[in-house]
Order: sequence, then structure tokens, then C-alpha cells
Amino acid sequence: MQVSVETTSALERRLTIQVPAEKVDTAVDERLKQTARRVKVDGFRPGKVPMNVVKRRFGDSVRQEVLSELMRNHFIEAVTQEKLNPAGTPEIEPVKMNAGEPFEFTATFEVYPVVELKSLEGESVERPVAEIKDADVEELITDLRKQRATFVETDKAAETGDQVKIDFEGFIDGEAFAGGKGEGYDLTLGSNSFIPGFEDQLVGSKAGDSKDVEVSFPEDYQAADLAGKAAVFKCKVHAVKQQQLPELNDAFFAQFGVAEGGESAFRAEVRKNMEAQLKQATRNATKQAVFEALMKANPIEVPRALISGEIDNLRRQAAQQYNLGQDFDIGQIPADLFKDQAKNNVTLGLLVGEVIKANELKADDALVDELLNEMAGSYQEPQKVVDYYKSNPEMLRQVQGAALEQQVVDKLLSQAQVTDVTKTFRELAMPGQ
Amino acid sequence: MNQERLFKVLLGPHMTEKAAVLADAKNQYVFKVAADATKPEIKKAVEQLFDVKVDAVRVLNTNGKTRRTLHGLGRRNGFRKAYVSLVEGQAIDFADAE
Repeated sequence: MQVSVETTSALERRLTIQVPAEKVDTAVDERLKQTARRVKVDGFRPGKVPMNVVKRRFGDSVRQEVLSELMRNHFIEAVTQEKLNPAGTPEIEPVKMNAGEPFEFTATFEVYPVVELKSLEGESVERPVAEIKDADVEELITDLRKQRATFVETDKAAETGDQVKIDFEGFIDGEAFAGGKGEGYDLTLGSNSFIPGFEDQLVGSKAGDSKDVEVSFPEDYQAADLAGKAAVFKCKVHAVKQQQLPELNDAFFAQFGVAEGGESAFRAEVRKNMEAQLKQATRNATKQAVFEALMKANPIEVPRALISGEIDNLRRQAAQQYNLGQDFDIGQIPADLFKDQAKNNVTLGLLVGEVIKANELKADDALVDELLNEMAGSYQEPQKVVDYYKSNPEMLRQVQGAALEQQVVDKLLSQAQVTDVTKTFRELAMPGQ
Repeated sequence: MNQERLFKVLLGPHMTEKAAVLADAKNQYVFKVAADATKPEIKKAVEQLFDVKVDAVRVLNTNGKTRRTLHGLGRRNGFRKAYVSLVEGQAIDFADAE
């Protein structure tokens, strides 16, 4: 077997591989002999078909088959021989494939980049730190109460935050238009569920009031024929309801699964959940920061084949997330949507893999146990969850992966210069709120 | 005998285990031939179409098998078969004739 390597671009290699004619012929004959035992030809008992008949009937297709197999095998052999590390599937093309001549083919593929890992020595990484203060707990409890809030009718004037029950009918230039009518609608003022300006004008109205609300539809309103037009909504207010927060009593606590112990137990439970949430959030944020620093310190070129593979993965995930079903053709999702993310993922995967290799990291059993317990803590019967994970190798591997990632982060953190940034619980645990 | 008739005499090679063995051992090739073909016709047709020298021709008629169907007895078509011996050193490759 003759192999020659060409470097066509930074990561692309082309192998030209030659296989001697005799080798091909013996392989073909071998295969024909096997076929002869299996095939059924009219006029012959099974397995009694003479070689020359088999050759005439199946020679060409068998040869094709053998050649494609030879290409695969020799490609692998050549790759090991040349110590290349191909990424993605190679593009294999036969060049010369006439009988009696040496068989020649080329394989074009991309190789994994050689990563010379630069440590994060001297790089600065921001690590967010947050503490749970009593005020944070208080705030969260208020949030919970708001979620369970009930609305009680009052005869006061409506304020922002109150709910009004209204009938409304909209007119443009004195004429009613389609979809502009509603009866008995519960509108929460300040919820911005109606077009801008509508809710504001209802502030101050009382039960039994009638009011003309004058608004204009925004220019980018989804119904094109209404966009930008001025309209008058004749509204009748049936009732004004005030938001009433539930009291902090045992019934309220019971809704959150705290049946005993009253307020102190409830607070403790809330705090415990917040702590778990915070720990998770801190860990994620730190991981993100470390990985970003790692990518910045090690700009590498990644094979296109890997990126397109990752794009497909992301597409599939997206399809699953939006419940598009089995038959959905993931090719319909534009690839550009995921391009940057895919590139990041691949780069990160390569770099993290390199860190693991360089430091000979292995999933630490103690850490795995810790993660498991943490995860199980939020279930009713933690021990059962732990046992289930341990009895299921695939699930366990996931946890091990997480542990390994954690170790990589720790390792990198120990190299980098870490600056602690103090943040509040809200900023860290609930970004975007 | 005209040229057109020659093309109508040979219907095709008869490929069976027996035919394969005979081709190897006795340089005999088996054809299905037209029901009214004669030995001289077959000889000439084989010689011209395959460009070989024929030593001898033996012919025979096979009867079709009777088959019993839902609608009573039926009979498959029989055919006329020719064993053509070639002069030593001659051979026919059916690869391009089939």
C-alpha cells in the first residue's frame, strides 16, 4: 500500500492511497467464493453454481462492493500509519479502478487541530460571589405571595396593579372594526397586555363608570390594517378588583409543601431552596467565565466538519424543545442560527478535552457522590434517586461528566487570577428579571 | 437459407448445472432453439453468431409439464433443445450473448 499525504489547507489533508492489483483481485475472488455459496441461480441447485457463472453474473457488483470496503479499510490503515487524527467523515473518491491496474483512491478530510494548551496563568477571571440576605428571602416570599394573589372587588378608584372587569368596543373613524370588541374581560392594569396607553387611561375609574379610551395602534402592530391608526374604545367598567396578597399562615405554607412548623420552617425551606439555587447559579456563572477565558487564551481553528455536526445536534435539540415531532426535517431550521454557538461548543469541547488530557483528570468519585446527593436533595426520597443513578451506568456517566467538568473548572481557576465580584442573589440567580 | 432465418433459430443459451458441466468437460454448449429448427440450421447459426467451428449438433424436444390448476389441467410450453459440440480449441463466452 502506497500512501501520500497532501496538505490542502490548514486543517484539510488529502491522502492518495494505492492498493496493488493482486491484492484487489484476491479480495474479489475471496468474496466471489463466498457469494457462490449463497446465491440462487435458475437452473442450478443452491450452492452448486460454478465459479465462472457466478463471476459472470455478480463479478461487477462484487468488485464494487470489495472496492468500497477496501477504501474504508485502507483509509483507516493509512490514517494510523500517517498518525493523522481525522475529524468528521472523510470524502473518499476512487481515481483509478480498472481491473488489472493498481487501485487508487483519494480521501479528503479535516484533522483535529493540534492544541498547544496555554494555561490561564496570569489571565484574570471574574468569579461572582453572592450571599443570601434576609431581605432577599423577604423579597422572594413577597413574590410567592404575589403569585398566589387573589383579587377582591372594591369600590375605590382603580390603581395600577388592580384588575378591572370591562366591556369594550373599539371604533376607528366612528366605525367598529373586527376583533375590537370584548365583554367581561379581566384586565390587570400595568400588565401591558393591551396596546400602550390603554391601561393607563383606565387608572382612576370606578365600578360602573363608562369611559372612552383614545389610543392609537403602534406602527408595528401585528394586524397591518390597524397599525398606526387612531381608535376610540368605548369601555364600561363593571368592577374594580384590588390585589390581595395571601396571609402568611399555615394554609399558605402548606401550598408550598411545608405542612408543619409554621413560619420559621417555611422561611428555612425557602432559604434552603435559595441556597441550592444560588450554588447552582454561582457554579454556572463561574464555569461560563472560566470557559470564556479559556477560549480567549487559546484561539484555535476548528474543523468545519465538526461544526456542521454540532449544528445538526443543536437543530435536533431545538426541534425537540419546540415539540416539532419525529418527522420534522431538521434541515428546515437555518444553519446560520446555530453557527456561532456550534463553533463555541466545538472549540470548548476540544479545549476542555485537552485540559483533561493534559492534567490527566478523571471523574472523582467523591465529587460524583456530592453532586448526586445535591441533585437528589430536591426529591422526596433522596436515597432512592441516588440508588437509581448508581444502578444506571448511562445516567451515572452524565453525572461523572458534570463532575469532570467541575474539576476542569477548578483546575483552571487555580491557574488563573481570580477576582471575586460581589453580586446580589437576584442578579445571579435570576438573570433577566 | 437466408440471413434473417439464422437470427430466429437460436432462442438463447440454456444455463443449467448440466450445461455448465458439459461446457467444461466436453466443449458442448446447450441452446434453446426454435421448434422447427434443423441441425444444419443450428450449426450454421452458431458458427456465424459466435464465430466458432461446430463439430456436431444433437437436438431433442422437451415436453412441457402438466400443471393442475383451479380451472382444470394445464400444460406448460415445451421447447426444442440443441447440444452443440465445438471443434477442439473453440469456446463460446455467453457474457456478451445472454
